[in-house]
Amino acid sequence: MIAKQQNSESLPLLTTLSVPEMLSATVIRSRTAKAINLQVVPSKLPAGYRMITPKDIEEEGYGTYYSPNLPIFANGQAHYRGEPLGLIVGPDPVTCDELAQAVELSYEDQEPQFFWESFASSQIAYRKTFVYGNPDEAFKKAARVEKGIYHNGVFDHHYSEPMGALATWEYDKMVVYCASQWPSHVRDAVATVLRVPAADIAIKTTEIGTALDGRLWLPSQVACQAALAARLCRKPIKILFTRKEDYLYTSKQARSSVTIKSATDNNGRFLALDIVMILNIGAYNPMAEELVNQAMAAITGSYSCPSIRIEAYAVKTNVVPLGALGSIGSSYAFFAIEAHINHLAKVLPKTPAEIKSVNILLKGHSNFGAEPLETEIPFRRITEKLEELSDFKRKYASYELVKKRDPGCREGVVRGIAITLGYQSDRSFFKPPAMNSYTVEVALDRTLNLTINTHGAAGSPSVRAMWKTTASRFLSMDEKDIHLLPPVCNNQNQCGPMTLSRGATVVNQLIERACRALQKRRFRESLPIIARAQTRLPPRVTWEQNSLVGQPFAGASWCGTAMEIQVDRLTGEARPLCVWMVIDAGRIVIPDRALSSLRASILNALNLCIGEEFCPETVSEENYLYQRVISPSLYPTMQIEFLGSERTTRSKGLGELPFATIPPAFYSALTQAIGLEPKQLPLQGSDILKRLEEE
Amino acid sequence: MTIDFTLNGKAQHVQIRSGDRLVYVLQKLGDFPSLVPDCLSGNCGHCLVFMDSRLIYSCITPAFKAKDTSIVTYEGFSKTDECKDIVHALTEAAAFPCDFCYKAKVLMIAELLERIPMPEPAQILEQLDIVSCTCTDPVSLTEAITLAAEARNKRKFKRANK
Repeated sequence: MIAKQQNSESLPLLTTLSVPEMLSATVIRSRTAKAINLQVVPSKLPAGYRMITPKDIEEEGYGTYYSPNLPIFANGQAHYRGEPLGLIVGPDPVTCDELAQAVELSYEDQEPQFFWESFASSQIAYRKTFVYGNPDEAFKKAARVEKGIYHNGVFDHHYSEPMGALATWEYDKMVVYCASQWPSHVRDAVATVLRVPAADIAIKTTEIGTALDGRLWLPSQVACQAALAARLCRKPIKILFTRKEDYLYTSKQARSSVTIKSATDNNGRFLALDIVMILNIGAYNPMAEELVNQAMAAITGSYSCPSIRIEAYAVKTNVVPLGALGSIGSSYAFFAIEAHINHLAKVLPKTPAEIKSVNILLKGHSNFGAEPLETEIPFRRITEKLEELSDFKRKYASYELVKKRDPGCREGVVRGIAITLGYQSDRSFFKPPAMNSYTVEVALDRTLNLTINTHGAAGSPSVRAMWKTTASRFLSMDEKDIHLLPPVCNNQNQCGPMTLSRGATVVNQLIERACRALQKRRFRESLPIIARAQTRLPPRVTWEQNSLVGQPFAGASWCGTAMEIQVDRLTGEARPLCVWMVIDAGRIVIPDRALSSLRASILNALNLCIGEEFCPETVSEENYLYQRVISPSLYPTMQIEFLGSERTTRSKGLGELPFATIPPAFYSALTQAIGLEPKQLPLQGSDILKRLEEE
Repeated sequence: MTIDFTLNGKAQHVQIRSGDRLVYVLQKLGDFPSLVPDCLSGNCGHCLVFMDSRLIYSCITPAFKAKDTSIVTYEGFSKTDECKDIVHALTEAAAFPCDFCYKAKVLMIAELLERIPMPEPAQILEQLDIVSCTCTDPVSLTEAITLAAEARNKRKFKRANK
């Protein structure tokens, strides 16, 4: 029975926002991937329209970089096709689009660098190596050494609303409306380019929608463009990308190649791992370091290994900026290690479950060379529950038997089933730690209405509903008397990025703390009462990868996914039939909302398995016409269960769990079904068919 | 050329060019926040309207096709009992599409229920393909559509199907 939930306040949509005297602006874009001496040729524009180029910005004394090495407009050099070169500003957005496309450019074409798996040293944006234990010694003593290379593709975020920003003035302040997961980054960027104090800028967040962590830093660039144009034209300016522009030129999930060399004993127990991880981050990405760190931290997946050497690179190429999606780099790592376990299972030969069981991470293990894990890791309970729900053992044995008896597959349809385990870390995100700071203010007024003020923007109505329900339960108030103020980032608050689900649960805990503080004062002080809470990460539970101090999995939520798929050997089409998911994410505030979010995330994560890959090197406007998310006719049946602990009072993030476990589960099930190791995702029907034919 | 049609019950007499997209013509006729010329390729569903009770993507429909038809946008549809049933059912089933696709999804559900008074889950999934936004999970939406169908049948035929 689904409980009734009151819909929460929604944020405005940029599409429908309008202010008096507002002008539209369209971005003039580079038409080549790499060029020098690039210039926008001035041309005569219709009355009321104006062109803005970096030259105009410099002449007016404004900044052209909003962050070190991040230009607002390319000045003289193009780094990728579609890079912003300037703006056309005018009253009609459609005319602005036409004029921007007709602008003449002069440039000298250069050979673009699309290669990334073997790269030049000049392409390295960030590099990190990490070693613990004695991998060289372990490789010498190992009974078996195996190597595999695993690839992940590029994906579009499929934003609900295209990227954009509206810059205007309210009293003496410039106000920028935009859908950003990181409003204080937008504010600082706008202040930098306008060369004004940050206090003079306010950022009002519009509806973010299911951004899947694609709105972390790019909105800052668009906001700077709108703010500069507003200053130069002295009128409010709105930039709203067309859907095609959004698809072709906004940032995507980074492409990855993970090479895993493993040393194991005869039972498949890991003795050492030697890993080289390469992330293609496109033309530039200010989050390169974070992507690499998150992927490195997740590389052993849910398994324990006594010795490990990781070498990770973020590599620049001449394609659109490639960055985060879903679990910020962790999904590459989870996929790679699970795919490698499948490979080991094939060569040893053993079942993947046997190899997983000897390597599984448990309390007391010492991962990453750190102190023994103090956290209870519920993988055994999760696996048992999943096996029961999915009838895993019987199905797995049946499908193996069918494969043996009918290797040519006369039936035409084969099936596979797999279980994978994963976690979502609540590991702090950005450095310095101040960037992970969130604040919440709750105020109970004389009319007994409660307002919650947090500058962190919620990505979905479910998150807003969760925050209101939390406050309602703590203060025994009706939800209709609780109001969330629209997030406004001004000088009074500094915040870190709100990612898909990590920040949301941190804010939820802060609301609990603030409400508890307010409750204590409720009948002792006169109204209104205001209580505040701010993030306070105890040093003991945080994890510092460089110094190996702390507990890497403190506060993590745990998950197991079983997936059954069917592959048609005639067409190669892989169809997920059923997904079972068992989750331990502490206290679930609104179970129905959590289930609903998870189901939507499962479908988005399935897109990474069978969806259409975005090829930034060859993508054209025609591709845009055919880009689709997976068809609802391919939606699997989904069953999700929560393993709640009665003692747990803390809620943890769960939105990233499908991204951590669905791709490896799909891959493992596919491996069982077709008996091959494609070592890449996504895999569409044609890819699978090609491999079957090659076999 | 000049065409005549009705828009949300009001007669319209409009001058158009042969290549005009219907969505742009409709936008000029009033304040219709539900009409967003977004993908311009009949994919996202943010420009859905009813044309003679058929749901169409107005971004890929030439404006001359509207000649002598009756067009209803979400703004016109929102005043009907059918719309109230759907909005109520979405709330009941805790299915909250994002604000960007909410109106399109309501129209999509309305069209399905008009065609099939009590749709099967497979028919519902097929209909979900009309609006590509992935913000809402299909289970909640299916439940909402079933609730809306029951309410609609109860109101129209004085009986519920279950």
